[in-house]
Amino acid sequence: MKSILTRLMTAAAVIGMLATVPHVKAADPIKIVALYNLSAGGLASIDGPSLNGAKLMAKQINDAGGLLGGRMIELTAIDTKNDLKEAATGAKRAVSMEGVVAGIGHSDTTFALASAPLFQAQGLPFVTSGATSPDLPDMIGGEMFLACFADDVQAHAMAEYAYNTLGIHNIVVWTDNAMDYTKGLSKYFQDRFTKLGGKVLLNDIYMTEDKDFSALVSRLKANPDAQGVFASSGPDTAGIIIKQIREAGIKLPILGGDGYDTELVSTVPGPDLSDNVYFTTHAYVGLDTGTAKAFREAYQKEFGNPPENAFAALGYDAMGLVADAIKRAGSTDAAAITKALNETTAYPAVTGQIAFKNGSRIPSKPVAIMYVDHGKVNLKTTVTPQG
Amino acid sequence: MERRSNLVAVFGAALAGAVLVYGASSVLNPYLLSIIAFLGINVILAVSLNITNGFTGLFSLGHPAFMTIGGYVTAIMTILPARKAHLLPDLPAFLARMQWPFLPALIAGGLVATLAAIIVGFPVLRLRGHYLAVATLGLIFIIQGLATNLDGYTRGALGLNGLPELTNLWWVYGWVLLTLYVCWTLKHSSLGRTMMAIRENELAAACLGVKITRTRILSFALGAFFAGVAGGLWAHLVTLITPTSFTFLLAFQLVVIVVLGGSGSITGATLVAAALTIATEALHPVEEAVGLYGLSQTLLAIAVLLVLIYRPKGLFGMAEPDLLAWIRKLPGRQPTHSGSKRHREV
Amino acid sequence: MTAAYVLEQIANGIILGSMYALIAIGFSLIYGIVRLINFAHGDIVTIGAFAMLASITAFHAPFPVAVIVVLVVGAAVGMLIERIAFRPMRGAPQVTGFIASLAVAIVIENLGIMTVSAQPRNFIVPAYLGAFIRLGPLQIRAIDLAIVVLAIILMTALAVFVRFTKAGMAMRATAENYNVARLMGINIDRMIMLAFAIGSALAAAAGLMWGSKYSQISPLMGLIPGLKAFVAAVIGGVGSISGAMLGGYVLGLAEVLFVGLLPPEYSGYRNVFVFATLIVILLVMPNGLLGRSTEDRA
Repeated sequence: MKSILTRLMTAAAVIGMLATVPHVKAADPIKIVALYNLSAGGLASIDGPSLNGAKLMAKQINDAGGLLGGRMIELTAIDTKNDLKEAATGAKRAVSMEGVVAGIGHSDTTFALASAPLFQAQGLPFVTSGATSPDLPDMIGGEMFLACFADDVQAHAMAEYAYNTLGIHNIVVWTDNAMDYTKGLSKYFQDRFTKLGGKVLLNDIYMTEDKDFSALVSRLKANPDAQGVFASSGPDTAGIIIKQIREAGIKLPILGGDGYDTELVSTVPGPDLSDNVYFTTHAYVGLDTGTAKAFREAYQKEFGNPPENAFAALGYDAMGLVADAIKRAGSTDAAAITKALNETTAYPAVTGQIAFKNGSRIPSKPVAIMYVDHGKVNLKTTVTPQG
Repeated sequence: MERRSNLVAVFGAALAGAVLVYGASSVLNPYLLSIIAFLGINVILAVSLNITNGFTGLFSLGHPAFMTIGGYVTAIMTILPARKAHLLPDLPAFLARMQWPFLPALIAGGLVATLAAIIVGFPVLRLRGHYLAVATLGLIFIIQGLATNLDGYTRGALGLNGLPELTNLWWVYGWVLLTLYVCWTLKHSSLGRTMMAIRENELAAACLGVKITRTRILSFALGAFFAGVAGGLWAHLVTLITPTSFTFLLAFQLVVIVVLGGSGSITGATLVAAALTIATEALHPVEEAVGLYGLSQTLLAIAVLLVLIYRPKGLFGMAEPDLLAWIRKLPGRQPTHSGSKRHREV
Repeated sequence: MTAAYVLEQIANGIILGSMYALIAIGFSLIYGIVRLINFAHGDIVTIGAFAMLASITAFHAPFPVAVIVVLVVGAAVGMLIERIAFRPMRGAPQVTGFIASLAVAIVIENLGIMTVSAQPRNFIVPAYLGAFIRLGPLQIRAIDLAIVVLAIILMTALAVFVRFTKAGMAMRATAENYNVARLMGINIDRMIMLAFAIGSALAAAAGLMWGSKYSQISPLMGLIPGLKAFVAAVIGGVGSISGAMLGGYVLGLAEVLFVGLLPPEYSGYRNVFVFATLIVILLVMPNGLLGRSTEDRA
């Protein structure tokens, strides 16, 4: 049984590699693993595009001749099926693969917490494209890097925008207690908002699987002083929340984090109800610099539709960051790659320049504030936070 | 006496197993080791569920709830006191100061799960059939809800991460042996026969003086103990435990394993648990190669369906195939059959 | 906590309860006849929702026609499941049938993921159903009213069917005593198919209601409603149609009212309360609210 299993694994790994990235088998390929929730759960709508973004970057690099003198990148995608056990065993499988030099993946902190420690234990760098907890590098270790900004940054940005620009001084908060991302976001928002002098009238709680918000809506209505609602939510419930709030006739501005960066926010409520919504996300839509535009066009060409959300760009950037580090390190030695990552000063990512300053492994990146106007999502402004 | 040759055979098998474990630990990579560890944990879960569902005929879906309880308790015991203070502010001081080694922590987890089972069992085990199934299902949601919301004690949705990776193949193997031993002894003891009597015909059993409620609670609690321990082992293999680590989907998978193997057959449960764990993992690369995520689950479900159509009582029914018969034949003894060959409706 | 607020919560509970009731009736109908729990029932809800979406987007059918299509598709899928998973299991222990239907459920869900992808989709409903209607102090949407009205129509139709038509009486007879019904010349196979067809049609209708109300559908959407409806059927007494209806509304109201009437800090405990209620009900009435003890031993 043991040897059959190993043979099966090897054969399957070969098939897997051949199937994922089309390439000419040149000198030793550079193997990178991506871990994402592809087949189940609420994160599939952001993990799928993230993987596509990563695949696009790998393809572009390979088409341009590869790295380190002609070595092709081989990206293997492992589906973690919205299950933490799969995330852990998938990561174990990843680090056991011959020649893997780095890992990328995950748009949610809980999953990053399941997978990344295994890379850490083997001394392999792991760059998450979308898991945004600011505590991740400390919780996991020196191999953990974020390609995205952290939740405290985006929550502070939204709090300041709400208080200073939108003039909201009394707010009602809805928190999803079942995801640590939403809990963290909510806490950081409330901290900054109250520090600025604002008042949180009510902190209402729900769980990710809840689809019925009638009770929370009713309580919101019972707070006539509220000037806005901050609904900390993941991609699957954001659209439903907006719909139900608007259906009840409430016209207050609805604020959210990067969990709102999904087309469901426009399609689920419909163009009439999807209105007066602000959310923070990774800056790329409005950055009309050459790289963002080029990315959009390349994505459209490769996958037949424009990038679904900013997470596609994040996947692209995570892959690109790793490739850049490999180039700068001049080798595929894991320790060298980690060192090169730490020394990143100005990687021109599509979602904003990535730099790891002062030993931090979280980049200080601009936050985009988006505005939904009758179903259309537009960039309102980009803020570069102080912290 | 036959017992001596039995003992020799069993001891020999255990020793052979230990040699395999030693060999595996030194040769295989961490991924394969973890799969084998999960295989062992699944065996513990399936065999312990067999006590509740198989022997006694209780349609319990509550195993994941007890895994959650056991897992959290074990984790709280093994985390460093310094981290505990930071992570779990509401924990009572005496708990926050303690840090136990793995074995006591696992046992503590199992015992707390058992306690929960007894407390819950008194009211809930009066129900029968599907009503019991739903009540135990409800237990899963209740425990999940408590774990998520009492975040001062459990850290809520974030769960407890960075758990020391204490589980290795030796621990799992040890507990597998213990579970198998307990279940086997139970099945061939008068208590085990009492449980099966309740399963076959409760009214008749009551007429014969069987204390129904007490036996049902006992079987529920025993299953819960091993589920709690399995939860602790799992948590320290994945190094992370969250309120949703063990869901109702897991409950269904375990029931599938028990039924496929034959409710009441320890060997059946073990073999099917092993087979399904391996099959699921082996199909992953195929899935990835083809890009059809979800294929492995579909194929397994179809396989389950086919087995049920052609062998509706499971692979072994209530019987234990005599795997050790050939060993027993050596000193010239007659092998005997254990377990009942008569099947009844559940 | 004004009267209007409480009324609103009750209204929401009734709407949610209507959907649970429809799905729960299907469970009980099927259980009453074959004594097996159909776990794939929740997935028929999903199929109903997708069928509705397909009729409106791909075939541009008008709303009432799409509803009929959904009912037909639901019935067809139900009968298919019966043929594949349940007929071979007849006579096997209850748990076996449970698992067979679970296997079918997994196959359907994963086929859905593989073909349609796990991404949630937007559900489209004709604009006129989005309008607001005033009912005294309440303000609800037309679609909510439509859901309750449609549910009542379907349940009444079922009640009439079961009580007054020959086929309905035959079904009741089969549920009451399988063997005697057979002796009386009733075609058991056809009765079973009928039960599956009707139950599944109702579940599919619930699927289209769910999609209309929450506007978001995905291949796994039916899992939790199916589970909750199973709970509702058990609350009302598995096998009893009126029990399923009652159970559905009890569950819907309990779910909404717990979150609505308790202080917001407890909102996260929604599922805890619902299941605790379930356990309490079962303890007081071990066979559900309207169930009869069918497990005769002596």
